[in-house]
Amino acid sequence: MIKFLKYIRGYLRIRLWGFSPERFMNLCSNRGILLWDIVREGESYYMCISLDGFRELKPILKKTGTRVAILERYGLPFLIPRLLKRKIFILGLLLTFVFWIVSTFYIWNIELTGNQRITDDVFYSFLKENQVTVGMRRDALDIGGLEKQIRRQFPEITWASARLDGTKLQIDIKENDAPIVIERTETTCGTDLVADYDGTVTAIIVRSGVPQVSVGDTVEKGTVLVEGRIPIFNEDKTVREYEYVDADADILLEHSTSFSESIPLDYIEKTYTGREKESYYLKLGSQTCRLPEERPFLVYDSLMKETRPLALEKLDIPVFWGSVTHREYQNTEHFYTKEEAETLLNQKLMDFLTDLEEKGVQIIEKNVRINRNDTSWVIEGAFLVREPVTGRTETARMEDGLEADFEP
Amino acid sequence: MENLIESLKFPKDICMGAMKVTLTGNREAWIENYRGILEYTESLILLQGKTCQVCFEGTGLSVDYYTNEDMKISGCISCVRYG
Repeated sequence: MIKFLKYIRGYLRIRLWGFSPERFMNLCSNRGILLWDIVREGESYYMCISLDGFRELKPILKKTGTRVAILERYGLPFLIPRLLKRKIFILGLLLTFVFWIVSTFYIWNIELTGNQRITDDVFYSFLKENQVTVGMRRDALDIGGLEKQIRRQFPEITWASARLDGTKLQIDIKENDAPIVIERTETTCGTDLVADYDGTVTAIIVRSGVPQVSVGDTVEKGTVLVEGRIPIFNEDKTVREYEYVDADADILLEHSTSFSESIPLDYIEKTYTGREKESYYLKLGSQTCRLPEERPFLVYDSLMKETRPLALEKLDIPVFWGSVTHREYQNTEHFYTKEEAETLLNQKLMDFLTDLEEKGVQIIEKNVRINRNDTSWVIEGAFLVREPVTGRTETARMEDGLEADFEP
Repeated sequence: MENLIESLKFPKDICMGAMKVTLTGNREAWIENYRGILEYTESLILLQGKTCQVCFEGTGLSVDYYTNEDMKISGCISCVRYG
């Protein structure tokens, strides 16, 4: 600390010789002039003295009959005039400050938090459409307007807040956690429920429409199960008119389905040889600068690590550097053992069954085999399932009054 | 006089104008309460106090700093003599 203060105020290394150097030192100390690192070599004394002290030396030198020579100058008072002579340096320093100040007028990073269903890409392209981009001027940003626009564009966002944090635009959003109910548009012409598969009806509960089948009926694919055309009868049981509705019913259709998957007998595995080559690059915004390099190995993969120094991260300056590690490998051929093949195929089967369950399909019977043929391992499964009917077609329109022979 | 200072527990270096010498091993010495340097060479430093003189003898002696209040001598001190 004392050294630092001495440096700030400036000091000199001097050589002193003459009649009475001891008296010189005593006079200096009496006048409060600090001397340090006093060394005697032969007839001369070498010492350090503060710049202010040096300016008061003249009467003391006269009085003691000594002479003084400056050997070296230290400290800021000597450094600054020297620096000021370097025009380019000063210019650079000024330009740095100007750049620094100007760069604070712009947005250098946009950070989004709280999005779960809306992907970053979707959101950033929305921002781009609204001319909110990295590198825009801060004062050109209308935060209130942006928040409104976010809520308008994405109905699932229930709360949006944008704020400027230094040169960073921080957008926090909150999505609606409740599932979005997709309202089915009511069609005026009516729709029928039709069978998606050949099968047997095992349960039917109709909420709207006219059922065309009953439990135990065997139906073919495309058969109308519930009709969306409801006849309205006159008193004489003739049809007066038809009302068209969207048929709505819970129908379980029992049908058989099959599943088949295969994996080849062998697979290729990477065996790393341990030979690695590393190269470095610098990324400014979206521009990457790297040294030109030859193809490092015949067969290799690359691992990329990218960081940016903490200072740049805090300032949100988009400068990154990273390294690419090229790792050589050899492709080695392996054969699946029976256990491995079974594990893999069973996993595929489980995925298939999970899919079915998600659709609300009940599995009544299943029969699964794993076989090996000349080229692959094959899993085959036959299932008897009960599946809800979801197929729809538009109801055939009927001219009013023509279908008079309808029996209720 | 000395008894009075003793009984009042006053610091003797201030009241009696005695020199205060603090030695750390034989390499460093801090001196307070002196008047000035009488002689300074690499092998001898002679200081004038208010009541007496102190002579530091040794080899490679140098003054690290020198102010009105205190000073520091470093080097290899072999003898401290009062006169």
